[in-house]
Amino acid sequence: MIRYALTRLALLLLGLFVASALIFVTLRVLPGDVAQLIAGMNSTPAQVAAIRDRLGLDEPLPVQYLSWIGGVLRGDLGTSLLTGSSVADELVQKGQVTIPLGLLSMTIAMLVALPFGVISAMRRGHADGTAINVAAQTLAAVPVVWAGMMLVVVFAVWLGWLPAQGFPRGGWSDPGLAFRSLLLPAITIGVIEGAMLMRFVRSATLQATGQDFVRTAAAKGLTRNQALVRHGLPTVGLSIISVLGLQVAGIIVGAVVIEQLFSLPGIGRMLVADVGARDLPKVQGELLVLTGFVLIVGFVVDLVHRAIDPRQREAE
Amino acid sequence: MLRRTTVAAAALLAAGALLLSACTGSFSASPSSTGGVADPDASIAVRLVAEPGNLDIRETAGAALDQILIDNVYQGLVSRTPDQEIVDTLASSHSVSADGLTYTFTLREGVTFHNGEPLTPADVVWSLQQVKDNASYRDSERLARVSTIAANGQDIVLTLSEPDSTLLWNLTGRAGLVLKEGDTTDRKTTANGTGPYALADWKQGDSITLKRNDAYWGDKAKAAEVVLDFIPDTQAALSGALAGELDVLTGFDANLKDQVEANGDFALVLGKSTDKGVLAMNSTKGPLADKRVRQAIRQAIDKKSIVEALGAGQTLYGPIPELDPGYEDLESSAPFDPSAAKKLLAEAGAEDITLNLTIPSFYGSTVSQILVSNLNDVGITLKVDNVEFPTWISDVYTNKDYELSFVLHTEARDFENWANPDYYYTYDNPTVQDLYAQSTRATDPDKAADLLKQAAKIVADDQAADWLYNGASVLAIGTDVTGFPSVNVNERMNLADLAKTKS
Repeated sequence: MIRYALTRLALLLLGLFVASALIFVTLRVLPGDVAQLIAGMNSTPAQVAAIRDRLGLDEPLPVQYLSWIGGVLRGDLGTSLLTGSSVADELVQKGQVTIPLGLLSMTIAMLVALPFGVISAMRRGHADGTAINVAAQTLAAVPVVWAGMMLVVVFAVWLGWLPAQGFPRGGWSDPGLAFRSLLLPAITIGVIEGAMLMRFVRSATLQATGQDFVRTAAAKGLTRNQALVRHGLPTVGLSIISVLGLQVAGIIVGAVVIEQLFSLPGIGRMLVADVGARDLPKVQGELLVLTGFVLIVGFVVDLVHRAIDPRQREAE
Repeated sequence: MLRRTTVAAAALLAAGALLLSACTGSFSASPSSTGGVADPDASIAVRLVAEPGNLDIRETAGAALDQILIDNVYQGLVSRTPDQEIVDTLASSHSVSADGLTYTFTLREGVTFHNGEPLTPADVVWSLQQVKDNASYRDSERLARVSTIAANGQDIVLTLSEPDSTLLWNLTGRAGLVLKEGDTTDRKTTANGTGPYALADWKQGDSITLKRNDAYWGDKAKAAEVVLDFIPDTQAALSGALAGELDVLTGFDANLKDQVEANGDFALVLGKSTDKGVLAMNSTKGPLADKRVRQAIRQAIDKKSIVEALGAGQTLYGPIPELDPGYEDLESSAPFDPSAAKKLLAEAGAEDITLNLTIPSFYGSTVSQILVSNLNDVGITLKVDNVEFPTWISDVYTNKDYELSFVLHTEARDFENWANPDYYYTYDNPTVQDLYAQSTRATDPDKAADLLKQAAKIVADDQAADWLYNGASVLAIGTDVTGFPSVNVNERMNLADLAKTKS
């Protein structure tokens, strides 16, 4: 187990290094730079050059990369070229919207996926099981933007129960208000992600039904459903943990779209704005943290999986 | 049933809005008050489309900054009214010598900055000198003809090397803003000005909050607080308005009139603007070097159908919009006539050509679809290249690597770009450059405007570019809100009179 963990950790570090290089290089390929954008549409080349010089954009790329990575290793993610604010502070600030949004979406997705996935597998061949399955297929195909707009029209504009857009200026100082403004966006992501996850839960459950140990339990006197719930579902749980690792990336991408749609001041919207402003030191810091987060979640999921699955432990 | 009442209400409101939009020339065309009393404690939420990258009024370009900070937070000796007239602001009066070489401004007394420090003549001299001396400051070159800036008691005296008919106007813009001498405020994220509002908070990626300046030297702002919410998505803005979260929507879509007016809480208001939809043509190479081809393109495009599709604005056939001096209707330079266009293309031997249009993607597809179809009718295949704005700035603006380009130029009185051969328009006509220079040297405003008019006619007759439309300021204003400006809101948005009645 320790050897496995160390190998996996080495892979994680290699992954982070490769990601940092890729992020740095791909951003430099983007046309247009921050100096041109600051100077705008009535500027002279001399003005642009002066701004570029002041911002240190003329340094050779390897020097820029090394100074960035050196900073990251010392715990400094960099500062914005436009406002001079630190990337870490900005991430903490915007994370107060995006992290709760992600957790809430994930919870909603699980609440949708687990019960309906298991029921639709157990009721396979019955009308209700089929109905759940068809509903999930349909939901999973709904575009996020459309779903969000429909929810807003019904719950915010017609019924007036929830805010249509925005996040309270006071942040979490009024938790009820903050929570309410995240609810519609989280439902939008959660239900669609949940519908996709549900199909996965369903097939994992079906697979478990056919396993030797479930059949044996049934042969020893449990009903088929009892055997499934007591011995089959733990294996379903294991497969879901692995999929959740992948879902994290999906939810981050979903947040970029949904924060735009609901004008939430989160990490996704900040990222889009910073790319548009070509504030590259800020963008690369943000991307590195997001990529690092997904890689670390994958790392933890692998370790947990290894630790709790008796079959993998024995294989060692 | 609900639906039927909604439609009826929408129809009524539409009629009302038509009446309202007929009086857009006035200072404020927001819906008349419902009879309530303005609430001095009101917090008013205004939707803006674009957030500035930072708040540095000295270096960072973009109309979003002018719109938010000038007049509201920062002020100059003079400022402009929505009717584009120049009025004294931090100056209590000003005079110009007969030869146009000496400008004397008497500084208002008793003015303080938001941090409590008093405004002194030395602050004004320092501010103007800073702009003049720092080439990287926006509009620095607009003070190029000012040779000395000095204080004489409470008077500020500018002496010029030669007359400059644009100077007063330029002083109403960034070049003329007065900041506190030696101020250490971080201009990128905060502001210290003299205006009716102080910048209270900038939540990046979300909103800017302006608070009434209770120590203001003039009439105090009517609302306690204005929250400028940055909402790029029009649909989100509409939902926010209908859910009662927003009071005013700027940069709105006139085609959503029925939706926003449906529940009777909002009215669509259209105001004139200096927004010019410029179809630039790179005349340095390819078929566009031929004036006949450029004229054919202009005659092939149906401007009226573009204005109709946008649901607001008016046609424009030359470089100067109606609000600016020197305007005249130049439709005769290239009236819509597809058969004439085909004939011109045949004469030029340019039948069946393909051209590329570079257009920033945030303009959507309305304009480019009409262009593709109109040009296709005369045998030109138009390929549309939707790009991010930074790509446009790099390829089109900086490198002039384009054939056709579309961008909305919002700036007022920007004819100078046609007299600048290095501008991305690639237009180089010494006669125009000379007329423009003469116009800036004129001491009589009418003479200056007349010279601009002559120059603009030449630009249009040279088929230097096409002007697809003169945009409107499209606003949706809550029926309980008064005093929101309607003219040229993309450039300036003076919120001093903004008020909301008690509900």
